[in-house]
Amino acid sequence: MIRFDQVAKRYPNGHVGLHELSFRVRRGEFLFVTGHSGAGKSTLLRLLLAMERPTGGKLLLAGQDLATITNAQIPFLRRQIGVVFQNHQLLFDRSVFDNVALPLQILGLNKRDIGQRVMTALERVSLKDKALQFPADLSTGQQQRVGIARAVVHKPALLLADEPTGNLDPRLAAEIMGVFEDINRLGTTVLIASHDLALIARMRHRMLTLQRGRLIGDGEAG
Amino acid sequence: MSAKQDPAAPKPAERVGATGQRPDKQDDGPDFKTFFNAWLESHRASLVDSLRRLTKQPIGSFFTSLVMAVALSLPMGLSLLLSNVERLGGSWQRAAQISVYLDLDASAQRSESLREEIAQLPDVEDVRGISREEALDEFQQQTGLGQALRELPENPLPGVIIVTPNVIDKAKLDALRQQLEGLPGVDQAQLDLLWVERLTAILNLGDRFVFGLTVLLVMALLLVVGNTIRLHIENRRAEIEVIKLVGGTDGYVRRPFLYMGALYGLAAGFLAWLLLAFGLDWLNDAVVRLAGLYDSAFALDGVPAGDGFSLVCGAVLLGYVGAWLAVARHLRELAPR
Repeated sequence: MIRFDQVAKRYPNGHVGLHELSFRVRRGEFLFVTGHSGAGKSTLLRLLLAMERPTGGKLLLAGQDLATITNAQIPFLRRQIGVVFQNHQLLFDRSVFDNVALPLQILGLNKRDIGQRVMTALERVSLKDKALQFPADLSTGQQQRVGIARAVVHKPALLLADEPTGNLDPRLAAEIMGVFEDINRLGTTVLIASHDLALIARMRHRMLTLQRGRLIGDGEAG
Repeated sequence: MSAKQDPAAPKPAERVGATGQRPDKQDDGPDFKTFFNAWLESHRASLVDSLRRLTKQPIGSFFTSLVMAVALSLPMGLSLLLSNVERLGGSWQRAAQISVYLDLDASAQRSESLREEIAQLPDVEDVRGISREEALDEFQQQTGLGQALRELPENPLPGVIIVTPNVIDKAKLDALRQQLEGLPGVDQAQLDLLWVERLTAILNLGDRFVFGLTVLLVMALLLVVGNTIRLHIENRRAEIEVIKLVGGTDGYVRRPFLYMGALYGLAAGFLAWLLLAFGLDWLNDAVVRLAGLYDSAFALDGVPAGDGFSLVCGAVLLGYVGAWLAVARHLRELAPR
């Protein structure tokens, strides 16, 4: 699914985000990427989303080389990926339904299919009854679940999450992680960047540990 | 390491986007008809969304359209006025007459035969003869020099034939004048087209002025649309970033703004048409009164339906192009952060 071969990211100001990173992720895996602030977690996610390009090595996502991908191909690559952000990135002038429907509208699905899929996604995150409400009317945890529903509504092959529990209390964080595990059981590869080691340890999944852009650990958490 | 797989989970190929192909090429993707309908629905949604955003701020949208309408109506209004003046000039030119002065010794019979000969010419609409005596009477009435003229040994004024041509082309008029001057018994033929030439020169200058003004105002209009769309883009920056992150193409991002530009243009086009129709109607009262003083039934033409329709289409196109330029310029800056 994902293949990093000696992937490096060096910025024009000389800062090195990643040093010759190599690892592979199989389809359907659930893994964490952890490390302190500045370790390179966000850089890794940005490379996978083609928001940045590697400056060295080979990075393949579903067989596509992200170093040579054209700008026109990027939207179609991103349609294979679901993204969950720490700050949710919801659109506050749209209802919960419309927020979740956005990826499907972009895919060009018809209204009936969109309605069915959005309600299924909201049901999966236990927010079916909030479909017509606006994000501002929801709690932080509920907003995060709307973000997750939006990330999975188009059934992506890969789900990326950047500190998805960063703003949540431990009970809510565990609940959100449970949602991710449910999604993973449906066959979606899940990659979560987090520095919450206690939470990661409880989940017992594969964990990549980064330090100053280098991979210093790759094994099961806990 | 390995994930626990749900036996009921869909295979990767059953997932949207899992094949890495465009939606219309997926194994389980919609067929062409469904995809086309969805594409139409997407356009309809963009149009409705743009309309909703414009009507949400009615005053702002109205004034933006009004500014565009004024910019559109200025050159269009001037152009319509010029075509009206050209029409008036044309009718005056058609009324141009050639005065054919006969030799002093031409007899009354010769004058009459000349009048008939000239009337047969193909470029002649009408002829009217003025005898030497009639010319003298008219001159005495107009100048008040009756006593002085009566003391002259003989009438110094020649007989005149006033020729009304049926052509308006200056070259043809000049050729006719020369032909008339060459007739035996004719002393001189005079055609006064200087004022027509001056009017034509002024109208040509006016045409150039309107063209220059049009170019400037079209540029101003593109700037107005571009700036308005830029503000809309700024207001929707967060939304655009999210759309790009979840796989929205540049075309998808661009579409609602293009509709918005076209809608601004549509509103501005109709407003400009209204402005021009009312403006010309308002001016017409004064023009009719002035023309009446010169025994003319001249009146300004309104905005022809064809011109009005072209104005609206042009405005929509300008709105669309202005929006396109604005979005193209700002789209690059809207990469997700």
